[in-house]
Amino acid sequence: MSFGWLLGRSASIVYTILVVSILVFGITQVLPADAAVTLLGENATPEALAAVRTRLGLDDPYWLQYLHWIGRVVVGDFGTSMRTGQPVGPEMFAALGRSLILAVSAILLMLVVAVPLGMAAALNQGRFADTATSLVSFVGIAFPEFVTATLLALVFADTLQWLPATGWVAPGESAGGFLSHLALPALTASVVLVAHVVRMVRSETLDVLHSDYIRAARLKGVPEGRVLVGHALRNALLPVVTIVALDVGYLLGGIIVIEEIFAIPGIGRQLMVAITARDLPSIQAGALIMAATYALTNTLADMAYTVLDKRIRYD
Amino acid sequence: MTPVLSVRDYTLDYLTGGAALRVLDGISLEVRPGEVLGLVGESGSGKSSLALAIMRHLPKNARETVGALRLGDLDLTAARPKELTRIRGRRIGMVFQDPSTSLNPTLTIGAQLTEVLRLHRGLDRAGAEAEALDLLGRVELNDPAAILKRYPHEISGGEKQRVVIAGAFGCRPEFLIFDEPTTALDVITGARILELFARLRAETGVAALYISHDLALVSRVADRVAVLKKGRLVEEASAADIFVRPKHPDTKALVDAVPRPERRLVGDRSSDEVLLSVERIEVTYGRKKLFRPAPKPSTRAVGFEVRRGEILGVVGESGSGKSSIARALTGLVDYTGAIRLDGRPIAGAAAMDRDYRRAVQIVFQHPDSSLNPRQRVGEILSRPLKLFGGDLAEIPKLLERVRLPAAYAERWPHQLSGGEKQRVAIARAFAARPALVVCDEITAPLDVSVQAQIIELLLDLRRHTGTAYLFITHDLNLVRQIAHRVAVMRRGELFDLLAVDELGGDHVHPYTRALIAASPIPVG
Repeated sequence: MSFGWLLGRSASIVYTILVVSILVFGITQVLPADAAVTLLGENATPEALAAVRTRLGLDDPYWLQYLHWIGRVVVGDFGTSMRTGQPVGPEMFAALGRSLILAVSAILLMLVVAVPLGMAAALNQGRFADTATSLVSFVGIAFPEFVTATLLALVFADTLQWLPATGWVAPGESAGGFLSHLALPALTASVVLVAHVVRMVRSETLDVLHSDYIRAARLKGVPEGRVLVGHALRNALLPVVTIVALDVGYLLGGIIVIEEIFAIPGIGRQLMVAITARDLPSIQAGALIMAATYALTNTLADMAYTVLDKRIRYD
Repeated sequence: MTPVLSVRDYTLDYLTGGAALRVLDGISLEVRPGEVLGLVGESGSGKSSLALAIMRHLPKNARETVGALRLGDLDLTAARPKELTRIRGRRIGMVFQDPSTSLNPTLTIGAQLTEVLRLHRGLDRAGAEAEALDLLGRVELNDPAAILKRYPHEISGGEKQRVVIAGAFGCRPEFLIFDEPTTALDVITGARILELFARLRAETGVAALYISHDLALVSRVADRVAVLKKGRLVEEASAADIFVRPKHPDTKALVDAVPRPERRLVGDRSSDEVLLSVERIEVTYGRKKLFRPAPKPSTRAVGFEVRRGEILGVVGESGSGKSSIARALTGLVDYTGAIRLDGRPIAGAAAMDRDYRRAVQIVFQHPDSSLNPRQRVGEILSRPLKLFGGDLAEIPKLLERVRLPAAYAERWPHQLSGGEKQRVAIARAFAARPALVVCDEITAPLDVSVQAQIIELLLDLRRHTGTAYLFITHDLNLVRQIAHRVAVMRRGELFDLLAVDELGGDHVHPYTRALIAASPIPVG
């Protein structure tokens, strides 16, 4: 990783966010939502509406409105929510924090399950364990989140009553409450990921186990367990980093459904609420923050690559 | 004295689709203490299977029917997996063909080298590192301390093979298997590895099995040579004898196939008329990007001429730029500089018109990837005929000219052997009635005996059509057999351009002289 690479990469992130901001702004303009009507209600007089429009600059040309908006965003001001009257920025970042906690737990859960499972499937290629793993992961891919979520809630919250079905408790409030509320949503989100990654780990492990350097390690008398952990694992896991980075994108989108079902005030749910309420500043902020998160995660994944695989260098 | 390794009546089958394919048939051989036995055979002769059988690393579908494998007084076929883990690396070591794939890319050299020492010799971390330093010094690597910290991709191919050899000798094994250890290296690096092998062998007195398809090379490193053909041992003789007095017809064929510079295959002289001239040509890969300097050209201002009907040999190690020249001449990459065909200037890859592309054809190194797997041979040959205005009825004649049956037009590439595929690729080039055919390492993936047949075919085609060849290879002996002139390239530069009989003279570049010295010429 050279300075030039970082510079180029940062420039491309800024460029991505800029393009997204134009798209987001454009879409909110096309939406059948009039900010003045949203603020004052359906029964406002035309004079009052006109006054609000002038105050908010809604009569200005679009490009001027965009410049005003993006200018404030650059200094961290995302505007005021039309629904709550509160500043949008802090609310959205707090929601993003909750979503990231959910996403990271889902990914950790997935890694703990998927990596050993994928390797076991590869080592038992063609035998029962392999076939069973493939079958289960196909089912995992085939079930949409709302089905998985409903099933899990039915079993663990309704029947067994082990875990709460909905809601969110901040980690600072009560650690136990935080974990028990996190469990079901994280499990739901990880099911689809597990299915993805098991298949990936399986095929990568098979490739690596057939490579010359694994044969060389065996033929110099390295015990089988050490061959797997010391020689094969790291090489088999490299491509998983890419998948995880792509999955963060999936999670940020797919998490909307999970957050709805489990009533978690994450960024997906905030965005849904904002869209229903035609709260334009919140929609713009939410979409922009999601895009930026995605761009950053992928850059981090590329950087993680150079640490794991010394052959990859960005210069 | 008990032999270090003894193989008795060893027979091995591979089960494929219910049928048993015999890979090794009643093999008996011995390697005595301090002796190096060379094992020579074409690909598919079973020599690698024998190595894997000795290492007890056979594929799952292998069936050993009869015979014994003994290491000293130990019966290898009866050894349990745990026992094998202790034997491998400690009593038997192995050096593989390609050092770039036999080292783990994500572990440091130090980690891979000390692992064996700690496992088999019970050394602690510091002891293993000290020993590894000593080993790297003994395989003549500069700055062993720095090498220990590096990853495989950070050292050269020759250095990697030295690391592998250091590891193989690390636990002072009684027996070593070398499986074509120089095939993946360039000529000069390979020659140095052979010198190292000879020195270590003298120092340690290790017994070894040296596997290769190259009879000339084996006869230089081994005491005795065993010749394997289709799973049978056809002849076993001392290395000094096998070249001079081969008894079995298969051995004779192998001996005859070895390229020898003193045995010229081309008697005529080329005309003086210039067919293609190349002036100050430079090929650059990659584009200039933001924030970084422009990439260096792969070839630097190379210039030469090819005369009508001439065979111009181009030799050099990998990375010397010889393939870049081939790609520039055929418009596969863009270039700066000037190419003239029959005096007509061609400004760049984009300016190559149909006439030029018809006149200059190419045959690639790997026929597996240069023939479309979804097209039958007939279809492959019809493309140039349609493009350059030939007659489709010529296909059987084309096949006949490359000595393939006309019925092969209906076959798919995967139904052909490596040599047959290369014949199809040659037929495709000649379908365009070219004036010059660029042959880019076309015999490198083939056995010596198949190579000899392909060379014979090329010379025959040239006699009938008067086509010139730009023959690119790393095998100097081969070039000296067939070329009129030889160009020597290194690191993108043209070092020498000489008539073939001037190669032994005093004016040659020191690098060319090193190349000649490194090319194994058979003993006797």
